[in-house]
Amino acid sequence: MFLARIEGTVVSTAKHPTLGGCRFLLAQRLEPDGSAADEPIVVVDWMGAARGAMVLVSTDGDIARVKLGNTTPARLSVVGLVDSVSAPGYRIGDIA
Amino acid sequence: MRLAMVRGHLTLTPAIAEYKGKRLVVLEPVTMENLRAKNGKGGGKALIAIDELGAHEGQLVAFTEGSEAANPFWPAKVPVDAYCAMIVDTVDV
Repeated sequence: MFLARIEGTVVSTAKHPTLGGCRFLLAQRLEPDGSAADEPIVVVDWMGAARGAMVLVSTDGDIARVKLGNTTPARLSVVGLVDSVSAPGYRIGDIA
Repeated sequence: MRLAMVRGHLTLTPAIAEYKGKRLVVLEPVTMENLRAKNGKGGGKALIAIDELGAHEGQLVAFTEGSEAANPFWPAKVPVDAYCAMIVDTVDV
């Protein structure tokens, strides 16, 4: 799992049939040094995360498999909205 | 999933039996900088993915990596590293 910041929304018509009705958000993984990763990621959101929010992202596709069926290619999903991070020496929270 | 521009496709002869009838596309992942600039550039390290949506060259797609990339073929065991899950209409950043 890792922390990410929600940057925007992703809209898709042609997609895998199991992904219908899902909310897709664009997010950037936050590194401990306060930087953001080069490449953004697309996450499935069932928590209602807003733009600019810091979220916890799980890379375990089993969550999606339970909700969307065994054949779903969904992998990254928002598993929580972050209230606060206390990690002395790490700057994760600085850019959120 | 990551976002990528479709740069082309490829064919294999021969290929393992599990790949029969499957379409392979060349993807170039898109960096946040290029995505915001909407310049059609990628910037990431190219990779090959299986595509069942008919994604065309120049289109933006979202692809899954890891074991989940093989889920669409479940319960068959197909060796897949990357799978095109969506053709992206719009990204609002």
